[in-house]
Amino acid sequence: MWLGLVRGADAHPHVWVAVRSEVAFGPDGKILGVRHAWEFDEMYSAFAVQGLGKNGKPPTREELAPLAKTNVESLAEFEFFTFAKQGGSKLKFKEPVDVTLESDDKKIVTLRFLLPLETPVPAQKPFSFQVYDPTYFVSFGFEKQNPVTLSKAPAGCSVSTMEPKPLAADENKKLSEAFFQNFSPGADFGVKLATRVIVACP
Amino acid sequence: MSRRSRRFVIALALAAAAAAIALASPEAFAQSGRNPFAIAGGESAGAASGFAGLVLSWQNKFHQELQAAAKALKTSPEAFWTLAGASLFYGVFHAAGPGHGKAVLASYMIASRAALGRGMALAALAALLQGAVAIALVGAAAIVFGATATQMKWAAANIELASYAAIAVLGASLVWKKGAAFLAAAHTPPLPRASTVFCCEAVGDPAHIHSDACGHFHIPDAAALESGFSWGDALGTIVAAGLRPCSGAILILVFTLAQGRFLTGVAAVLLMSAGTAATTGALAAAAVYARETARRFSSPESRRAKLAGAGAQLLAAVAVLILGLALLVGSAPGGGA
Ligand SMILES: [Zn+2]
Ligand SMILES: [Zn+2]
Repeated sequence: MWLGLVRGADAHPHVWVAVRSEVAFGPDGKILGVRHAWEFDEMYSAFAVQGLGKNGKPPTREELAPLAKTNVESLAEFEFFTFAKQGGSKLKFKEPVDVTLESDDKKIVTLRFLLPLETPVPAQKPFSFQVYDPTYFVSFGFEKQNPVTLSKAPAGCSVSTMEPKPLAADENKKLSEAFFQNFSPGADFGVKLATRVIVACP
Repeated sequence: MSRRSRRFVIALALAAAAAAIALASPEAFAQSGRNPFAIAGGESAGAASGFAGLVLSWQNKFHQELQAAAKALKTSPEAFWTLAGASLFYGVFHAAGPGHGKAVLASYMIASRAALGRGMALAALAALLQGAVAIALVGAAAIVFGATATQMKWAAANIELASYAAIAVLGASLVWKKGAAFLAAAHTPPLPRASTVFCCEAVGDPAHIHSDACGHFHIPDAAALESGFSWGDALGTIVAAGLRPCSGAILILVFTLAQGRFLTGVAAVLLMSAGTAATTGALAAAAVYARETARRFSSPESRRAKLAGAGAQLLAAVAVLILGLALLVGSAPGGGA
């Protein structure tokens, strides 16, 4: 599954995340925010559960809570790796709520949280978001099956995903030039390889 | 102004300039070490160097291969050879990316006029130190104390901070020495005046100059100006370039530990270090080559050439200082942007 997330000429991530998201609607039909489930790769999962869990059993949520806390604390600086837009303007998110980090019996860990919009937006105009790490330390990729669902959406709302175009050869060259000039390697890689999720309501 | 105070003013001015540059562009370094899922710091936004997308894609490929081979170890022991090969090449290509103190090493090679052999040795020792720090961290923290990821992150963050401080200290030390040498070169008059009063209090300091009151100037000895090798700086370079453990190494160690194959992980990390040494060594060689080529094209006799040479060394020293300060500012709690 992880190999499927790696495309062509990538930069160099150390952590891979398989994303599943849910767009949450309020009773008034407005979009409240995005609920994420981020499943980490085996190596990062091994790191996360290190020293936790008793007698070879996977650790509990309580045991993983401190790591969940440190993970989420620095998310704001990275804009929660979630970049949402409506009608061309960027939308802001508030601090995540309902944060949990859990481990399955194969010791693969998943981070779950709800990312509320600063102000809920009406769903009549198309709402879109992308999940990526601008520095490309983390490689985010949506799950193949049911990557995004809608929760409590008004009738007729639909969601679709747009896959990124593969990086062209000359684009790689441009990227490395930008890299030399302003020391920001992943500045483009993350976004260029990100899937766009679009929600539309009648 | 006395020699001492003049040096001090110069060093202070340079440090201030460096700090100003660092503060003016914090976004360049702000993300170092603060990625929410960072293990030993943000290599992806670390130091000022990089290569084309091709190299990056190779790094990625070997990172994947590493993970797959480490996983395959569970069922087939012969996967060790795949792991060994992947580790070596991971080290080679990984070191071509940001991090790994390449900028420090290259700048040191230019600033110090160190010989090629010495540069290669420094690169090898820095790479080995980097592997050893990862092994010691995971070995001590995870095996001995059963540390959790949160505790290991904390330990790694502190080692990282220490390595940034080491870069800044090395830079300051080089700026101090190269600043003095540059001043000496700048203040050398075309013809030396006759010595009337003897007031050489700093015997053995080849770069020293006197105030006018003292009645004479020394011409700085060109050979002494250009050798300038100090064990302290060399050791400082190894520490500055190699102290920070590599995320990839920590991940593979914890991963193999979880499978009860820690020693395999240790072997893999040592091979990574060998690969890293090959790349950083080549970079050190390139720095020496560039420096020597530049020197061949300038006449060694001319005062201007000496001045330019001393100036280039000073600039390289300032670059190390700026890098150290910028990384410190970027990773300090609440620092950066
Ligand atoms: Zn590394
Ligand atoms: Zn790496």
